[in-house]
Amino acid sequence: MLGKGGKRKFDEHEDGLEGKVVSPTDGPSKVSYTLQRQTIFNISLMKLYNHRPLTEPSLQKTVLINNMLRRIQEELKQEGSLRPMFVTASQPADPLSDNFREAQPAFSHLASPPLLPADFVSTMPLESCLTPASLLEDDTFCTSPTVQHDGPTKPPPPALQAVKDSFSSALDEIEELCPAPTSAEAVAAETAAGDSKAHPSESNIHKPEGLPESRTAESKLMDSLPGNFEITASTGFLTDLTLDDILFADIDTSMYDFDPCTSATGAASKMAPVSADELLKTLAPYSSQPVTPNQPFKMDLTELDHIMEVLVGS
Amino acid sequence: ADIISTVEFNHSGELLATGDKGGRVVIFQQEQENKTQSHSRGEYNVYSTFQSHEPEFDYLKSLEIEEKINKIRWLPQKNAAQFLLSTNDKTIKLWKISERDKRPEGYNLKEEDGRYRDPTTVTTLRVPVFRPMDLMVEASPRRIFANAHTYHINSISINSDYETYLSADDLRINLWHLEITDRSFNIVDIKPANMEELTEVITAAEFHPNSCSTFVYSSSKGTIRLCDMRASALCDRHSKLFEEPEDPSNRSFFSEIISSISDVKFSHSGRYMMTRDYLSVKIWDLNMENRPVETYQVHEYLRSKLCSLYENDCIFDKFECCWNGLDRQVEFFSVLHGSIVMTGSYNNFFRMFDRNSKRDVTLEASRENNKPRTVLKPRKVCGSGKRKKDEISVDSLDFNKKILHTAWHPKENIIAVATTNNLYIFQDKMN
Repeated sequence: MLGKGGKRKFDEHEDGLEGKVVSPTDGPSKVSYTLQRQTIFNISLMKLYNHRPLTEPSLQKTVLINNMLRRIQEELKQEGSLRPMFVTASQPADPLSDNFREAQPAFSHLASPPLLPADFVSTMPLESCLTPASLLEDDTFCTSPTVQHDGPTKPPPPALQAVKDSFSSALDEIEELCPAPTSAEAVAAETAAGDSKAHPSESNIHKPEGLPESRTAESKLMDSLPGNFEITASTGFLTDLTLDDILFADIDTSMYDFDPCTSATGAASKMAPVSADELLKTLAPYSSQPVTPNQPFKMDLTELDHIMEVLVGS
Repeated sequence: ADIISTVEFNHSGELLATGDKGGRVVIFQQEQENKTQSHSRGEYNVYSTFQSHEPEFDYLKSLEIEEKINKIRWLPQKNAAQFLLSTNDKTIKLWKISERDKRPEGYNLKEEDGRYRDPTTVTTLRVPVFRPMDLMVEASPRRIFANAHTYHINSISINSDYETYLSADDLRINLWHLEITDRSFNIVDIKPANMEELTEVITAAEFHPNSCSTFVYSSSKGTIRLCDMRASALCDRHSKLFEEPEDPSNRSFFSEIISSISDVKFSHSGRYMMTRDYLSVKIWDLNMENRPVETYQVHEYLRSKLCSLYENDCIFDKFECCWNGLDRQVEFFSVLHGSIVMTGSYNNFFRMFDRNSKRDVTLEASRENNKPRTVLKPRKVCGSGKRKKDEISVDSLDFNKKILHTAWHPKENIIAVATTNNLYIFQDKMN
């Protein structure tokens, strides 16, 4: 017994993105499905990490967005299992779901967020931020303590996904790195105690020598940023680096044409995984940008290299 | 701060309370019906205004606690005073609203303005008497129920025993006694041991209107659970689970989000309950768990716009819904309670569905388009294609003008409709 609402008619004029959602199995519309999925994925991540509320964000909204991201990641993972060429040998059995489960910072109610991944995110150029599905599932960014990684020759993880995956391990690292924690960090350390206890070996492995400056800077940044969500911290950092310029200037829509599942197209060559060196080159111009108005944060390439090593887990 | 966040009639319908984002409660009172003016029911005028909640700061998390009033629920009237519960994200308060229309005059030791008299000038004694004064309506907080919710309170519901009530946040539901503020019982807890595994939250909860041990709560996954407090102290196991299987032809990325239930309302009889999700209103028979008995599409034309609505966050808007009241007029047609349901939409539109005739109507709450005392003109929204005269295209809808809160007078055909900043009160046309 339905109310007499107007029947929904298929409208031929509907724009491809907004129109009927196509299933992944349709041939030519597969691209638009992937494009839509990618767009939704990006929007979801932006929602979680570009929001700087003065009050606590709605848990319901956060949960729904997280579920959306999870679902898309699951889909990508399933599609990815059909294309072994992008998966490296040292890939752990279930990287995506493990990482995603591990790194659910939105629910931890931490008093202070980790900045390490946020730094990384903000300095990634647009192309890496909006990587299509292939790179997204190329998740070499495992934070599980039991996995050994290859050297830095592995392609770096896509920035936005890296944020989610690295949080809990970054928490451990920051806890390790900051020997005299502030009260905020102490709370973060407490609440992350579960994670940090579980990954003591990893923290030791990843303690690089050359990071004293970045540690201090990180702890300073953590102090200066309010909020109990990593979300707020990364927002503060991101906006100070004029992320708008990075993300929204001259969006290269040719990236959207890439369909990972039809890799025979010429577009595949455009999307060779970004190597660490290329990444560092693109990051160089941003290295001198001030981070917060009162806390300039210079990141030279050596430090960046160290950070990358930490994140990639080698 | 003037954004209206909740609207609720009291049990007699004489009072209408609104809460706003600034923590204020404004109560309107219906004028007593003028017997000579039978063509209109009493109008509503401001009766009392008070600041219910103030913004607070959570020092542990370094976040503000909003003073926005999420819900108001009236207690049934027991004496001359009125009582209501109002809640923000963290704290529930019981307010007493009482009238004062007399004051004592003729004190021996005080002047009328309050200054003390010199005792040596007092030569005779008199007994103070009460004299009439201008009506003053006072609101005072009688109970403050605080510190029981870690997450944001979304619902409060008074039990049919009129002694207890429940408050629900995203993950927990607590049971309170109206007299006791330092203790509450946790009756539902869906917080996972590992917060990283959280995928579902509580979105609304309500006590059954007649059975004082039964309540329901809805979730962000589109399920409603009915629980019986007699079964166990912690009602983590539901007695009934209401869930409609997903329609595979409507499947999209946003299926879960639009299935999230934003409001649950029992009918007076308690036999039915109504739920509101993003695109529809569903009527459930408590005896049937596997699907609703009726589904009404509120704004199906938005289904093709879900991606944009996700981007601008409108997809997370929480629309409420309400049943009609009991019509005390017994004319040719007696409109029974439960025969009409009402809910809001965008562009200051609101919708009513007649369950018996299956007709529905879209009306607009706006000053520009409706002159006072004229009959509201039905509206129609069309898809992106060709537009007929008087129709409004879905692309020209204003998504900032949303009607989230509506209320129906419990006894008459008077409705209160809240746009973002304004409250509209409509009544049906009387001949």
